[in-house]
Amino acid sequence: MLRLFTDTDTDITPAVAAEYGYRLISMPYSVDAKTVYPYVDFDEFEPRPFYDMLRSGVLPTTSAISKERYIEYFEPEFAAGNDILYVHFSRAMTVTFNAMDEAVAELKAKYPERSFHEIDTKGITTISYTIVREIGDLFKAGKTLEEVLEWAGTEVDKFAMYFFADDLKFFRRSGRVSGLAATMGTLIGIRPIIYMSQEGKMVSCGKEKGRLKAMEHLVQQVADLGEDFKSHRFVIGHTDAPELAQEVGKMIRERFGDDFPIDYVVCNPTAGSHAGPNGVGVCFHAKHR
Amino acid sequence: MDRIDANLYLNLVRGGAARLGLHRQEINDLNVFPIPDGDTGDNMYMTIQAGCTAAGSTLPEVAKAVSAGMLMGARGNSGVILSRMFAGLAKGLADVREADVKAFSRAMQAGVEESYHAVSEPVEGTILTVFREGVAAAAGSKDLDEYFDLLISAMDLSLQHTPELLDVLKKAGVVDSGGAGLLYIAEGMRAALHGEAAEVLEEAAPAAQHVDLDAFTEDSVLEFGYCTEFLLRLQRSKVDLDTFDETVIADWLAAHGESLVFFRDGSIIKVHVHTHTPGEILNHCQQYGEFLTIKVENMTLQHHENHMDERFKKGRKAFGVVAVASGAGLVDTFKELGADEVIEGGQTMNPPVKRFIDAFDAVDAETVFVFPNNGNILLTARQAADIYDKADIRVIPAKTLGEGYYALANLDTEAGDADAIEAALAEAAGEVATGLVSRAIRDSGNVREGEYVGIAGKEILAAGPAPEEALLALADAMDAGSRDVILVFAGEGGTRSEKVREALEKRYPRAEVILQTGGQPVYEYILVLF
Repeated sequence: MLRLFTDTDTDITPAVAAEYGYRLISMPYSVDAKTVYPYVDFDEFEPRPFYDMLRSGVLPTTSAISKERYIEYFEPEFAAGNDILYVHFSRAMTVTFNAMDEAVAELKAKYPERSFHEIDTKGITTISYTIVREIGDLFKAGKTLEEVLEWAGTEVDKFAMYFFADDLKFFRRSGRVSGLAATMGTLIGIRPIIYMSQEGKMVSCGKEKGRLKAMEHLVQQVADLGEDFKSHRFVIGHTDAPELAQEVGKMIRERFGDDFPIDYVVCNPTAGSHAGPNGVGVCFHAKHR
Repeated sequence: MDRIDANLYLNLVRGGAARLGLHRQEINDLNVFPIPDGDTGDNMYMTIQAGCTAAGSTLPEVAKAVSAGMLMGARGNSGVILSRMFAGLAKGLADVREADVKAFSRAMQAGVEESYHAVSEPVEGTILTVFREGVAAAAGSKDLDEYFDLLISAMDLSLQHTPELLDVLKKAGVVDSGGAGLLYIAEGMRAALHGEAAEVLEEAAPAAQHVDLDAFTEDSVLEFGYCTEFLLRLQRSKVDLDTFDETVIADWLAAHGESLVFFRDGSIIKVHVHTHTPGEILNHCQQYGEFLTIKVENMTLQHHENHMDERFKKGRKAFGVVAVASGAGLVDTFKELGADEVIEGGQTMNPPVKRFIDAFDAVDAETVFVFPNNGNILLTARQAADIYDKADIRVIPAKTLGEGYYALANLDTEAGDADAIEAALAEAAGEVATGLVSRAIRDSGNVREGEYVGIAGKEILAAGPAPEEALLALADAMDAGSRDVILVFAGEGGTRSEKVREALEKRYPRAEVILQTGGQPVYEYILVLF
């Protein structure tokens, strides 16, 4: 049979994972020399204390997991005669998948009859969450692996995500956003708008004065780029800013009606370490990213 | 020379070491981090030098001995990576009696792989990139002469490109130091290939480093931690050498430190890591073996002067920023916004022309944008700009801290040439309204001495018995409700109270209200609307 995997950088919780039969690979972050593996070292993620820690000035680091850890996740499945599909966060953001490639190559030599498939969601947090769930829905609806892979070939690029961060210092530090003006530091009151590119990278695409304008920008992106988004998952993600997320949700409702569900998701701590608190983003089905 | 034998290989290594030795101070000076982990030039030099005493009768033996020597001598991040390059070379030459260009090229590729493998999160724009791109460009050469020519020209090109890949380099206006050291090594190797005798400099240790112990005082904060390096010999009594998987150590270290370089060679583990708690690192690792060498240095203590080779200096940076501000919070704010120099000054403290001239010198950029942030200071800044002929000085007519703040926040140095940037900055400054709350020092019109007044431009728009009241009345008079952001800097006499924020938020629900500690004198509050 086919075994589904995803990782904690996609915001999928154990409860949601269980709903679809995903196994969850834990992507760690470190604070004060202590490494924390989400949902291994704790059962439930409590966003407030974590993001309050970031607000107080702590800057966690994140690290790639090793080949051996991938083998620990994957080998039991191959040994049991299962094949694997891993729907993961963006390759363009990390080196961890080099370790995974090595692990898979080693396992393939050992279990030549088994197969390993992957779908790169070309994003992280909210957008990956959306795609992982859409894929889970397809399997639930009886689609085959081949059909799902074919779907991903065109559809992954049709989920757009736009978001803004409150304080650029977190992104600056990790250097994971391109297109930020060279001098942009901590811009009080000015919010860069960032989107997830087709290459699976975070790219800055403008800036807005004040929160309201930034939120309006997100809504406008849905209006400009949205395509058939009411029949797909519509997700609003945030880094411990539930009120802001709800406000964006309200603006979306006012503009596009209430005949579709909106999902609210809190960003996982590993990705949140790079984004910082008080950020909000929307993910929706679009003409393009 | 069309083949490399044992002798020639050793000569190549020695040639590389000699050339690097001549330039190591220059490489030291390329360090860009505020506190580097040791000096790259010294570290690389001592690493490669430790390989120069190798002996052996066949090429594989010599290559292996060079690699082993460098393993023992490896110091610092770049040194460790360098030692892995030569370890890869040794692996690639393991079955080669005499290396032709093809065999050497393959071995160099093995060096690239080995060096990337040693770093837990390889960073591009470093020695790794320079090496990889050089080796890739040289592959396919018809002979060794051509190989080294192509290697060196591609490495040079790659090196010059490193600032594009790493922001820290770009900001410092330098190329990567490890990559620069590697280029010297390659040049020295080429010279040796052409028969130039290499003399390895006698001195093994670098000239005694001046360590300023006062750089870390009773009140210092351990900001950078310790550069911790050691060789650990895995012990049979502690682990099963045949099955032991060293990645358990590497994973643990990656989670407990930074800048990790880690590799295993036989039963020896080499570790380079930055940590705040070296004791914890050493204790943990000792459960697997015993230490051969240990070096732990407080990174705050490292010190060196700056005298860079022109070749590696990327010239002055294109753009710089000088701003005038007073109050600790505002000075910090302008620095965080990207000002290279902040001149302390304001309404009651106008800095002289000389301060500007000094600041222009310190910034050392082709074009300097100046934000005077006060009407009285604008003229001084212009005067300084007129006198100064070492750079193109553009004074942005920001007459208030608010205008300067918002204009600087909108600085995009990639938006066009200096004229276009200047125009954009001036336009941004014009979009802002700034109000000031200050205590009246004498009766004037309807205002009594001791009352607080709200001023915009030269007009008194509001007054009140307390600064907070004057602030709210001023915000009303300035039509704050039509703006997107209401930014308030609380001065020495103002409080950063939640009440002020709440009152503003309640009155202007559409705007985002931000309260900051400015710490400025004279003005209890500075109100910035944009």
